[in-house]
Amino acid sequence: MRAGSIFYFFREAFKSLSRNKLLSFATISTISVCILIIGIAVLITLNTGNFITQLESDVEIVAYMDKDLTSESVTDIGEQIKEIQGVKAINFVPRDDALKKLQKNIGGKEYDLKATLGKNPLPDTYEIKASNPHDVASIAGEVGKISGVYKVNYGKGFVEKLFNATRWIRIISLVFIALLVLGAIFLIATTIRLAIFARRKEIYLMKLIGSTDWFIRWPFIIEGILLGVLGAVVSIAILLAAYSSLLNNIETMSFLPLITSSSILRNFYLSLLAAGGVLGVLGTFISINRFLDV
Amino acid sequence: MLVQFYNVSKVYSNGVKALDDISLKIDKGEFIFLMGASGAGKSTLVKLLFREELPTRGQIFLASRSVVRMKRAEVPKLRRNVGIVFQDFKLLENKTVSENVAFAMEVVGANTRDIKQRVPEVIKMVSLQGKEDSFPGELSGGEQQRVGIARALVNRPVLLIADEPTGNLDFETSTGIMELLYDINRKGTTVIMATHARELVKVAHKRIITLEKGKIASDNADGESIA
Ligand SMILES: Nc1ncnc2c1ncn2[C@@H]1O[C@H](COP(=O)(O)OP(=O)(O)OP(=O)(O)O)[C@@H](O)[C@H]1O
Ligand SMILES: [Mg+2]
Repeated sequence: MRAGSIFYFFREAFKSLSRNKLLSFATISTISVCILIIGIAVLITLNTGNFITQLESDVEIVAYMDKDLTSESVTDIGEQIKEIQGVKAINFVPRDDALKKLQKNIGGKEYDLKATLGKNPLPDTYEIKASNPHDVASIAGEVGKISGVYKVNYGKGFVEKLFNATRWIRIISLVFIALLVLGAIFLIATTIRLAIFARRKEIYLMKLIGSTDWFIRWPFIIEGILLGVLGAVVSIAILLAAYSSLLNNIETMSFLPLITSSSILRNFYLSLLAAGGVLGVLGTFISINRFLDV
Repeated sequence: MLVQFYNVSKVYSNGVKALDDISLKIDKGEFIFLMGASGAGKSTLVKLLFREELPTRGQIFLASRSVVRMKRAEVPKLRRNVGIVFQDFKLLENKTVSENVAFAMEVVGANTRDIKQRVPEVIKMVSLQGKEDSFPGELSGGEQQRVGIARALVNRPVLLIADEPTGNLDFETSTGIMELLYDINRKGTTVIMATHARELVKVAHKRIITLEKGKIASDNADGESIA
């Protein structure tokens, strides 16, 4: 492609933008509404994902030791657990600490459990976190095989249900976003088709006098990128304002763990910007081809 | 041979048989009148030459290249060798005379310097000096048609196709257009002109191909027998 042609493509794109102000405005509005809806859906998905990741990472394995082990063999078991594939961290809770904790939960110092029961009924325990919470079942199995481990508990049944639910939430939100994107492509292509339709005679003439398909496409594609990015900018501005005011107002309610990481949010907004450009190009590409068939 | 038609038929999708078993040859440098009643198939024949339509049957060659079998990507190259003057002008209303002519060079990727040099040349050829910055809506029919001719010529085609270039023009203006076309032909460009205008053809002494219901009714080398 020649430098002169590139200049021509940009000149034509800008000319067309300013010539069809109403259609440009309509396209920008369509794109920004689409991106806004997709953006909201993605934000909800991200935050839900964040929330369920947190839920999942709360899942841990508790391994109870046999009561008559020496402290060396308890330490040794700890070492063995650490060596199991997929174990992220372990936390040793000595039986005395466990008892204190229990006592505190039941209520007050004056009620001395140890005195009441004669001796500490609780075993030493290890709390085990998995690198991937989905591996807890198999890790729990491994831990259970170590001799000296009396019992392993990881919320069997509940954990499986939780993971099943979170998997479905993820799948459904992805499918939903994919459908939104498809709808957006269709809607944007239809709007852009109007703009191209207004210039069909010019395109037809260009074809008859020997211009190539790409020569005709480029200005429209540049126009599509510009319209898409402009539309995305509008929707990003709205989302930025809405989300930050949401964060400010909801800060106190810490049970809703909203994403505040600026790097995640920045990537999110940049992706929306790119999505605007891509939607503009796709819409143009889909719409223009039928006019080139001369 | 510049143009060859071998047993060409064209049936439109609505079932109308516009051309029926046409075979003909046109040499480089010829000037051809294509005559026939309305609906005889003149425009259809001409459209096959630059592949605006494809034939239903038969073969067409332009400069020994098959117009029918060529790949889609090669069509622009074919069309750049053919200048087309449309009966309805097909000028872009929002472009000036100069811009309309330059447009034909821009869309084939010519560089700015060549465009700046060539456009005034062809505008002079069709005697439109002084109208460069007028818009088509500000021109008479004859002037608009001359813009169309300038645009068809600007890329130096080997073949100029003119479909009723004098269609709605008075006799005087038509004669002016004809002089222009003869002049172009004298400079070496092959010209095919579809027309109804017997009075123009009669005095021209050029080859006349007459179509009748999609068939060649007569092909007269010197145009003498036309009544
Ligand atoms: N795109 C089309 N679809 C269907 N039928 C068509 C099409 N174009 C032309 N025809 C038909 O084909 C026949 C030949 O048409 P064509 O335009 O070639 O005639 P013509 O000789 O150029 O006529 P005129 O002198 O009126 O321009 C006519 O019957 C016409 O109705
Ligand atoms: Mg016709």
